[in-house]
Amino acid sequence: MKTSLAVEISHLTKEFPSPFKRKKIRAVTDVTLQIGEGEIYGLIGPNGSGKSTTMKALLGLLAPTEGECKIFRRNSVKVDSRKDVGYLPENPYFYKHLTGKETLAFYGKLCSLRGKALSARIDELLKMVDLERARHQKVGTFSKGMLQRIGLAQALIHEPRLLILDEPTAGVDPVGSREIRDLILALKEAGKTVFLCSHLLEQVQEICDRVGIIFNGKLKREGTLEELITLKDRLEVTVSGDADAQENFLTLTKELDGLDLISSGAPKTSLESLFIEMANEEERRKNA
Amino acid sequence: MIASLRRISVIAGHTFTQLVRMKVFGFLAVFAIILIAAHFFKLPHTYGPESVAEEELRMMKSSAMGAMSLFAVIFSIAATGLLIPRDVEDRTLYTILCKPVPRFDYLTGKYLGVLFTVFIALLIMDLLMSGALYLRTMGVLEERVNTATALGWSEEVKETERQEVLRQGVTWSVHAGVLAIFLKAMVSAGVALLISTFSTSTLFTIIMGFLVYFIGHYAGGAREYWLSQQLDVSPFTRFGSHLMSVVFPDFRLFNIIDGAIAGIPITASMIWKLTGISMIYAAVYLILSWFAFAKKEF
Ligand SMILES: Nc1ncnc2c1ncn2[C@@H]1O[C@H](COP(=O)(O)OP(=O)(O)OP(=O)(O)O)[C@@H](O)[C@H]1O
Ligand SMILES: [Mg+2]
Repeated sequence: MKTSLAVEISHLTKEFPSPFKRKKIRAVTDVTLQIGEGEIYGLIGPNGSGKSTTMKALLGLLAPTEGECKIFRRNSVKVDSRKDVGYLPENPYFYKHLTGKETLAFYGKLCSLRGKALSARIDELLKMVDLERARHQKVGTFSKGMLQRIGLAQALIHEPRLLILDEPTAGVDPVGSREIRDLILALKEAGKTVFLCSHLLEQVQEICDRVGIIFNGKLKREGTLEELITLKDRLEVTVSGDADAQENFLTLTKELDGLDLISSGAPKTSLESLFIEMANEEERRKNA
Repeated sequence: MIASLRRISVIAGHTFTQLVRMKVFGFLAVFAIILIAAHFFKLPHTYGPESVAEEELRMMKSSAMGAMSLFAVIFSIAATGLLIPRDVEDRTLYTILCKPVPRFDYLTGKYLGVLFTVFIALLIMDLLMSGALYLRTMGVLEERVNTATALGWSEEVKETERQEVLRQGVTWSVHAGVLAIFLKAMVSAGVALLISTFSTSTLFTIIMGFLVYFIGHYAGGAREYWLSQQLDVSPFTRFGSHLMSVVFPDFRLFNIIDGAIAGIPITASMIWKLTGISMIYAAVYLILSWFAFAKKEF
């Protein structure tokens, strides 16, 4: 892991008061995770497992019941921890009466940008998220994918070092989704840290350095993608040779003459099959 | 992080834009119609010319300032009650509070944005009313001078007559009355702001805001009457009744608006005092709202 940490969540627990029952709703239980600077971290889990809650606590939008969250060593409950972070909420919603450009100008000004620097940044971002056509269009008339893009632009306006993206590709078409993926990879190139959650596991597998899997508010597994999807109790060997030689290999003769070992190692599963396996296990445990 | 005037003004400016694009200034058209209607309204001149002409001017002021007052209070309560819960409901608030924006700045910006809108609207209405009132005063004056000349009154009497009429025209007291309307709107908006930080529903906030406003109109008098009826009032009761006056501000303070309509001169010291009290109310509401809002989760 890198020496400097962008995100430190330690023993985060978040309870919501439930209006009818005495018992409180526990959305997140004792989650500890760290994200090094420059990493792309993916949080995956089923609906209602506490992904968004974790992100909101990290942003100081929710106060932790227990534990604490830090962004670049600053506690999230403090306002200045928010200087270096951009957030895209799930199903983002912006002021309907503003145009695309005005929306970015509003958020830019909140981050103390102004004048030429601000308008240059707005042009750059509208181009980056491919919304130049919607510059003078009211946000109220945007499609779902367009809202997602303006949300992404808004999160990037002040060039934050950390980006927190809650389902960045939800509702975006496959091409757009691919563009967002490329954008995230480009941001990583530029040295930014990205913390995202998504239900598109294939994409998470493609871009994330590390992944956390959360079920019912508890962080069940965590690690580099390599660690998570490698099946350690198995060996995968690729050989080449003619049919007879392969036959020999398959019958596990002792003479391996005529075979060149191309590669060997543990086979990889996909993040998706790992997730489904874990979900089934969780289900079984609950029923037991 | 300390409050930043710049950030507050960004939010206030945005709130103003938002309200303008919600077409609130459409009310100005209605107001202009009221003025025009008041201009053509004539009282029957059967009771002799003396007070009737002045009565017409009073009617004009009364209908114009009544409309201004109604607009200012309804608008300030409804707009304040609408805007913040709407940001919460739409989750637009997330996108603002995740930027380095202290919650105090957000609240203050919203509050000032609403007040700025009311101020501009009242300013325009004041100008329209002053213009209409001036024209009407000149008309009435001419009529009176003609009548007086026909009756052969002395110059001295004519001059008193003239002064009488002018007293009902455009005076500083009229503008002071409009300022009092603004201050009333400021306190009402403060009440709505405080309620909106507790409630999650727009309708609840607006209804409660009006309830407090109406109670505030009557509670002051009721409280004084009640206190005067008690033989000995314990300090506790006295404190309780003072607390009540914070929750339900005494809107009778703004009765000088009626004075302005009646043509009674309003002194500078009265206006200063009213401004001071209203500012204190506004500050108290803002701070209480901030306490409630700082802890709030969305
Ligand atoms: N304000 C709230 N009050 C009460 N309960 C809440 C609140 N916010 C979230 N919860 C509960 O916390 C749990 C976790 O919700 P959260 O939004 O974090 O899930 P999620 O992992 O983001 O799900 P999804 O994939 O559907 O977005 C859910 O059971 C939800 O009902
Ligand atoms: Mg979520």
